[in-house]
Amino acid sequence: MRTAVALNGLLAVPALFALLTGLLSRRERAAVAAAVTGSLVTLAWSVWTVSSYDGGLTPGSTVDVDWVASMGIGWRLGVDGISAPLVLMTTLIFACCLVALVRHDPPGGGRVGLAVLLLVIESGVLGSFLALDMVLFFVFFEVALIPMWFVIHTWGDEHDEPGRHRAAVRFLVFTVTGSALMLVGFLVARTRTGTFDIVGTAASYDASGPLALTASLLVALGLAVKTPLWPLHIWLPDAHSKAPTVGSVVLAAVLLKLGTYGFVRFWMPLTSPEWLLVPVVAALAVVGIVYAALACLAQTDLKRLIAYSSVGHMGFVVLGAATFTVDGVQAAVYASVAHGLITGLLFFVAGAIKDRYGTTDLARLRVLYGRVPRLAGVFAFAAMASLGLPGLAGFWGEMLAIRSAVDPAAALPGTTYAWLAFVAALGIILTSAYFLAVIRGMLQGGPVRPVHGVDATVELVAPAVADDVSAVRTPDLHALEWVAWSPLLALTLVLGVAPGLLLTPVGDAVAAFFGGL
Amino acid sequence: MVDLGGGVQAIDWLAVAPVLVVACAAVVVLLADAFAGPPRSRRQALVPAALTLAGVAAAAVPAVRLWGERRSTFCVGGVLEGPAACSFVVDPVTLVFWGVVLFGTAVVALLGTAAVAEGRTPQGEWNFLLLCSATGAMAIAASRDLVTLVVALEVVSLPAFAMVGLRRDDPRAAEASMKFFLVSVVSTAVMLMGVSLVYGATGSMFLTQVDQALVTGAGPREVAVAGALLTVVGLAFKVAAVPFHMWVPDTYVGAPVAVAAYLSVVSKAAGFVGLMLVLGLGLRDLAPVWAPLVAVLAALTMTVGNVLALGQQHAVRLLAWSSVAQAGYMLVPFAAVGAAGAAGSAGAAGSGAGGLEPLGASVGYLAIYAFVNLGAFAVAAVVGTRHPRQRLTDYRGLVREEPLAGWALVFALVALAGLPPGVVGLLAKVVVFSSVSSAVTWLAVVMAVNVAIGLVYYARWLVELFRPAEVPGRSTYDVPNGVGVAVGMTFAAGVVLSVFPGLLLDPVLAIF
Repeated sequence: MRTAVALNGLLAVPALFALLTGLLSRRERAAVAAAVTGSLVTLAWSVWTVSSYDGGLTPGSTVDVDWVASMGIGWRLGVDGISAPLVLMTTLIFACCLVALVRHDPPGGGRVGLAVLLLVIESGVLGSFLALDMVLFFVFFEVALIPMWFVIHTWGDEHDEPGRHRAAVRFLVFTVTGSALMLVGFLVARTRTGTFDIVGTAASYDASGPLALTASLLVALGLAVKTPLWPLHIWLPDAHSKAPTVGSVVLAAVLLKLGTYGFVRFWMPLTSPEWLLVPVVAALAVVGIVYAALACLAQTDLKRLIAYSSVGHMGFVVLGAATFTVDGVQAAVYASVAHGLITGLLFFVAGAIKDRYGTTDLARLRVLYGRVPRLAGVFAFAAMASLGLPGLAGFWGEMLAIRSAVDPAAALPGTTYAWLAFVAALGIILTSAYFLAVIRGMLQGGPVRPVHGVDATVELVAPAVADDVSAVRTPDLHALEWVAWSPLLALTLVLGVAPGLLLTPVGDAVAAFFGGL
Repeated sequence: MVDLGGGVQAIDWLAVAPVLVVACAAVVVLLADAFAGPPRSRRQALVPAALTLAGVAAAAVPAVRLWGERRSTFCVGGVLEGPAACSFVVDPVTLVFWGVVLFGTAVVALLGTAAVAEGRTPQGEWNFLLLCSATGAMAIAASRDLVTLVVALEVVSLPAFAMVGLRRDDPRAAEASMKFFLVSVVSTAVMLMGVSLVYGATGSMFLTQVDQALVTGAGPREVAVAGALLTVVGLAFKVAAVPFHMWVPDTYVGAPVAVAAYLSVVSKAAGFVGLMLVLGLGLRDLAPVWAPLVAVLAALTMTVGNVLALGQQHAVRLLAWSSVAQAGYMLVPFAAVGAAGAAGSAGAAGSGAGGLEPLGASVGYLAIYAFVNLGAFAVAAVVGTRHPRQRLTDYRGLVREEPLAGWALVFALVALAGLPPGVVGLLAKVVVFSSVSSAVTWLAVVMAVNVAIGLVYYARWLVELFRPAEVPGRSTYDVPNGVGVAVGMTFAAGVVLSVFPGLLLDPVLAIF
């Protein structure tokens, strides 16, 4: 009973607050207050839910009700060490986003609509993390789509209307194609398992034969779009860079995790490490790491750069999962959470820079250390975390992913994986290169490159404030920004110093979920 | 089964009651209209629609009583002459279709009241034709021999031609009617040719006996195959499968919105049930021949429908192309009939229907499509009262200024696209996917891509609904009461089924 209330409540709370916010839409202050309250209640509820789970996906700690009996689709929900960190990260990120909306009116106006959509997305995402039924996972996966499309389409980059519409449609089409393929994969798998229940499937599935391979391939294809895995990432840079700030944060920090979580929870049980498919997935992940790092070196726009960096980070996550070891899955979950916190923070900062200077063009942003020192400091911190500085959260996930790739499951080709690990490590160096270049160029000033044949030294300050730079002081961090960002800052540090907080429960849950991995 | 033998046919009146009631209601509407003369007030003009609704409700009573039963009537043969063959059977398939037809007819009758204010459509005749056509649609679901089936299909179509062109002084409606008529006549001729070949090859008109003859191998099989192909082509016109779909957009756009709704739901359902009965019951043994053909038709239909819907700016034309695409999804389960390893949507194997389990998915999809598509047309009828040009931009601001209609359309569109919160539409797609995913995986993949394409145009329409109106107040409507009820009915049905999808899907998937 308590389980049912906790789990169903976690889905219902954001949905109900979304409804309430919508009903209050004529009174903007009240509506925004309701939305923020909703996100905070959800955060508290998720902490309560997670703290009360007993560690496993036993029948007593899950919800299992028939939904469409004739299809064998069940309303199966549960939380364990694999999903709990992602659930908490999700509720935290959404709370930060809604708090950030309090002061910040999005360029397109209509803040209430944006808040409602965010809460709906939150409900869908939480449903995906809690779902233990393949079709239910797919259903919740889709819940977030249309609202996210609206967020990009309506509140995206106000200077580039056709661009944001194109980005929104591309996001929608790619994601829906992916999830539909994933669904077909689940249905093919069902003919082997006889059930959509993933816990039962993970315990007893016999992944062999062409039918099982088809199922696994389709699921991997679908999740590869969502994660995204190179070369299916092409929807991502546009979507992330054209979305409004909170949209980018949610996209990068939360929605990508649906893909990586799907790999761990729904793809691995359907897959045999003996197939060639697994090293291929790992290799694509590594190609993505290097490709993203090189692409980042060539970016001239801060938001696009952060977006591409996500492709690389997701590569580490998938590499970890594709080793089929407990260490690898630990690394995948850890890196997912860390990426959520850090990239969320990076997009927040990028949004703040855009608010102040009207651009995120790296060629035009200079010496932010001198102009907005605190903001620049937060950016430097997040960039350091993102490039994997030991002592911050970004380090552990990637380090563990590489380590697990050196020692993958016995059925996997060890030499190939060792090479993959080596190349992935090179990717980390390249990542350091581009983040350091940004820090040097954007924050410190740095050597000025000619832009479009014009010597850009004249643009030492952003044009928006260039005329009266001495008269107008660009405001540094606002109190509300501190409130919205500080949990992310703190957790990045805490997880970096004490990785065991997260690694231990994840390790236990992985062992329980997969049996003998 | 009532059969006295000796050539005296006993009729099971309860079994035929729903069809008879609808037919009688048609006569009542016509007579009432003839005796009452031209309507003197707005209120009086609504009488035929009210009578239609009463007739539909009356027909629903025996249909509900029959639920869960299996009855046959109009049988020949019997104790002495071997197993009886019946022309009219009421079983779960029949009852589900009767439900769809009755619901659809009621909604269309309500939508028809939108034309009252305009005064160009004679309400009495219009409702008479509607009920006549519905009679045919009811009859076809129960027909189990080829002659009854063809006749019933014509009873569906003939009044529909007139309904399309009934609006006075409307050359586009007349043109639409003509186009529809020509295509339909050709398809009937093709189908009759096919039926006669099947009859020639098997020596029987009864579907069960046709099946028997094919299984035992009596008669030339090649002729039966040719007959089967021609029959499929004939029915493909009715369900508007590509490449036999050309009549759809022009006819839908030329006809009043209510008639377009009728064509896209009830008339299409009649075509589908015909296809299902002929292929599933009669020609089941030839499944290896027609299943791949239908698979290709399905893939073409959904792809062409979706791709051509992408560029449409006219709401009804968009719905027309989308309904072509939806017909493609409905054809998908046919491709898995008889295939080895077909999972069957019912899950448990061995329900004894011999590989027909996938067709349950088709029935389920059709039923769900009927609810949500009628919802979309209902709102289009509302908007059509003020913006007869039906541009997508005319839908701007609908959610804000006319929330009930706006949200109903939002729901219908996301359900057609197959996304939450239209969970019912999403599950309809899951059901179809599940029927073919392991048997004909390539078709499932094609469908997956199509679902994504479909989303683009539904989304394009959705965004108009949420944009603020260009001129405030441009999207407020004096919604005719009847149309308002229709919007409410379809919306409520969709929402209830989204929360409790098992209500519809559990019985439907169990029928085969």
